[in-house]
Amino acid sequence: MRKFSHGVMAALVVLGAAPALALAAPGAVSLDSTIRLDKVITEKGLTRHELVAPQKVVPGNHLVFMTSYRNTGDKPVDHFIVTNPVPSAVALETAGGDSFEVSVDGGKTWGPLAQLTVAKPGAAPRSAQSADVTHVRWVIPAIAPGATGTLEYHAVVR
Amino acid sequence: MRRINNLLATGTVAFALTAAPSAWAAGTIAGTLIQNTASATFSSGTSTTTIESNTVSVKVDQLIGVAVTALTTAPATVGTADAVLVYQVTNTGNGSDAFDLTGAPNVAGNGFNATLRTVAIDTNGNGTYDPGVDTVITNGAASQAIAPDASIKVFLVTAAPPAATDAQTSQVRLTAVSTIGSGTPGTVFAGKGTSGVDAVVGASGGTANALAGLISSLATVTLTKSATISDPYGGTNPVPGAMVLYSILVHATGSGTANSLAVTDAFPAGTTYQPGTIMLAGSPLSDAADSDAGAASASGITVQLGNVAGGSPDKTISFKVKIN
Repeated sequence: MRKFSHGVMAALVVLGAAPALALAAPGAVSLDSTIRLDKVITEKGLTRHELVAPQKVVPGNHLVFMTSYRNTGDKPVDHFIVTNPVPSAVALETAGGDSFEVSVDGGKTWGPLAQLTVAKPGAAPRSAQSADVTHVRWVIPAIAPGATGTLEYHAVVR
Repeated sequence: MRRINNLLATGTVAFALTAAPSAWAAGTIAGTLIQNTASATFSSGTSTTTIESNTVSVKVDQLIGVAVTALTTAPATVGTADAVLVYQVTNTGNGSDAFDLTGAPNVAGNGFNATLRTVAIDTNGNGTYDPGVDTVITNGAASQAIAPDASIKVFLVTAAPPAATDAQTSQVRLTAVSTIGSGTPGTVFAGKGTSGVDAVVGASGGTANALAGLISSLATVTLTKSATISDPYGGTNPVPGAMVLYSILVHATGSGTANSLAVTDAFPAGTTYQPGTIMLAGSPLSDAADSDAGAASASGITVQLGNVAGGSPDKTISFKVKIN
């Protein structure tokens, strides 16, 4: 089941990357998005996490949104910025110290969560909470040809 | 297999973001698609390129959940009149669900087990049982479909059983069970959720119940009969021709009321009723079955005392017969 699922995903990556290849002759990067369910398994008093294909997803489940990239061209690319909208049905989970910046206003302003605020009509802006996050983004200075990486954020289904 | 179908279906769709936002305490509505598409920009030489990832889509399944609370918080008085117990049933799941509603008066520790007369759903939402307006259902039958986070009020109309005595307490349980399914949390009912999504039993197990209290308020009536004989010779011997004055002392105790209390007494064999001798609390009553409380027939007398509250002053009824 999992193997098959990966096979389909790969086919989609090719589709997704096709327009980029056509437009951008100098560099080419593929981007592959996947969602995994962070399954908490408690056995003999020990808790462990297992990332599984999200067969059953209900409110309260923890999801991992992963974006893999690969420089498929033969030249390095730089100033690589991956932006990932956070679906409204989930709330970002973060313990701080993330590798990404966040936005709580639909991608207009960016920064660490602790520095962002949410406007409140008729009141002083309040500090942004992780549930306010609408977008996350990663800024990667450069990717060498053939280099790959995976970016991920965790969220809970509201 | 379903997952893969979802992926294929959404892969061809444009890079739309997710569906409507939800502010439900019960959680994201069942059937909602969580879709993820990342985009990236990068430079290579002098050109800047923007690319999009594939879109991954996950459909939110239905979490089955229910909560029941008793809105009747202080014990309801039952006795002379029926008691209406009010409960609230809330769909705490994230999809529409109906619940089987069962009232059970047999609860361990009860002083008496009430008689369940009616199970009804508050149709007009006023929280008060309106006979003829609110929907009466068979005990154990299902409610209408309840939207996620919505609730209904359920009435259990109960009566005190004959065995109950004054000031006893009792509890009545209302249990709601999801019609989609119940069981160990995590149990999956494939395809049974809203618009065919899978349904998963939540922490409640798909069932919940609550207890509401009753306190009986009843009256106990005690009748004490005595006879005074006066024979024609100035003595008290029960000889033919002797007059017998029967007195019935009516004593009511308890916090309730004996409604429409009628005291009847048959004439003993071998005696003849003396017309016009029925007395109530020292005042005469007529023998005719008319507007006053007393009536005499060929076989006995009846005195209508009306509604007699427990603890009200004792009443004495008397009448005379002659030994034949």
